[in-house]
Amino acid sequence: MGNIGYLTKEGFRNLKVNKLMSIASITVLFSCLMLVGIAFMLLVNIQAFISGIESENVIMAYVKLEANEIETALVGDELKAINYVESVEFVDKETAYAEIKEDFDENLQAYLNGIGENPLPDAYKITVSDMSQFESVVNSVKTVHNVLRVRENSALARQLSGMRDSVTYISAGVILLLLIVSMFIISNTIKVTMFSRRLEISIMKSVGATNSFIRWPFMVEGIIIGIIAGLLATGAVWAIYEFALSSFTSVLSTFGTIPDVQFIKYAPYIAGAFVIIGIFTGMFGSSSSIRKYLKERKFVELEK
Amino acid sequence: MIEFNNVSKRYDNGTEALSDINIKIEKGEFVFVVGSSGAGKSTFLKLMMREEVPSSGTIVVDGAVLNKMKKREIPKFRRKLGIVFQDFRLIPNMTVFDNVAFAMRVIGTKEKKIRRRVPFVLSLMGLNDKARNFPQELSGGEQQRVALARALANNAEIIIADEPTGNVDPQMSYEIVDLLMRLNEAGTTVIMVTHEHSLVRCFDKRVIILDKGSVVADGGTLIREAATSHINAASEITNEYVVPPEEDYSAYVEDPATAQPDSDFIMMGEEFNADGGEE
Repeated sequence: MGNIGYLTKEGFRNLKVNKLMSIASITVLFSCLMLVGIAFMLLVNIQAFISGIESENVIMAYVKLEANEIETALVGDELKAINYVESVEFVDKETAYAEIKEDFDENLQAYLNGIGENPLPDAYKITVSDMSQFESVVNSVKTVHNVLRVRENSALARQLSGMRDSVTYISAGVILLLLIVSMFIISNTIKVTMFSRRLEISIMKSVGATNSFIRWPFMVEGIIIGIIAGLLATGAVWAIYEFALSSFTSVLSTFGTIPDVQFIKYAPYIAGAFVIIGIFTGMFGSSSSIRKYLKERKFVELEK
Repeated sequence: MIEFNNVSKRYDNGTEALSDINIKIEKGEFVFVVGSSGAGKSTFLKLMMREEVPSSGTIVVDGAVLNKMKKREIPKFRRKLGIVFQDFRLIPNMTVFDNVAFAMRVIGTKEKKIRRRVPFVLSLMGLNDKARNFPQELSGGEQQRVALARALANNAEIIIADEPTGNVDPQMSYEIVDLLMRLNEAGTTVIMVTHEHSLVRCFDKRVIILDKGSVVADGGTLIREAATSHINAASEITNEYVVPPEEDYSAYVEDPATAQPDSDFIMMGEEFNADGGEE
């Protein structure tokens, strides 16, 4: 169709002619997307924080003292074969003992060295790839041959996993709600735009323009509004995030290690998602209101 | 060309706008439709443009049965019509040229064709030197001529003019009807709704008079005179309709002996079709 050019130009012209309406729509969509973005970054940070704690929640499997070297190595292989095990690190008893002794004062160190015997067993430090599977991994570890004892904290894992889930659900809900609100507002804005352009629409209908032809410039308008709002919102979320990071890090660091979540890592996704969301809300918002408008409004009488 | 067979229209709110109307308009006819407000004139027009569907009866326009027409066929049907409104409906932020071009652009006409067609229809309406003006810089009569040019832009077979002289001074009113007449002579069917009896009387054309949703008279001069008095009498009683002050349009009537045949109008349709027609 050779008219795409004309129709698209019309869409841009609409934007210029209805400057105020366009600015209003962009502002509204921008605000909603910004809130979505902030909710998302908050979610990412909370998840990173939880992951940070989780990664420290390792399973220690101690090997029976009577196991020889080959049997100990076999334990390592068996552990690696368990599902959801991310890494298995061998902690040999000499190194572990040396580390422990370092913390003691010199007298005690000298005394222990005098005894010359290492009371520690060999051990494996196991990290779990999927924290929701923590307990099943623990159970599997317990069944491994030659494992003396397992040290773990299932309760913490359970709590963290539950926390992660609820944070995800709540954020998803908030994000969805905000999107619905944006769509509703966009659709209303377009409705107002259509009303303000009823003269042109009445002429178009009277000369036999097809509904799709009437609709297209409004769709273009909605899409442009979406793109602009999406890009602006990305920028705003970035600025707010960097600001929040710089002002809160020092305060929060007293509570524990702060995960280093860089916005730039998420920026392409956020920008992409925002523009797509913007385009879709713009398009759906406009198409639904246009369809209704075209159905209800007659062209012979113009409402004043 | 246009046929109303036993057409009635009752709106959802219960108003019976038209009851059992039978009208037949031939191709190339010029018809005035006269009536007081509430007589059913605008319903008549809306039915003809397929803006409304009759409650009963059938309407046929140019071979198409409007009752049975599918929604998606309406735009194509409307392209056969050139509609002129009382309030001109010109887009204020577009020039005269663009206003006329708009009607062509929105049905997907190529820009090349528009650049040739628009100056032509503007010249027919005597608006060549106004192409770059904006509507608000023009008089009411000129604005209505722009609207008429727009109605002609897509080479309509039927011109439907809804009170085209309603917002125009008497001399311009006469000129507009005169332009419609000339279009009619070039072969276009013209239907003009008006309540200005004195204007109607200047032209010896068919007059359909509507009153309270029925056709009370349909025909030439004699019937028209009778019907006009009928309406005038009716309006005095109901006081709904004030007969406009009688304008003496005879002053504007051209002497047929000196009038020049307008060759532009004759070739109007051909010029457009020479481009390869629509689509």
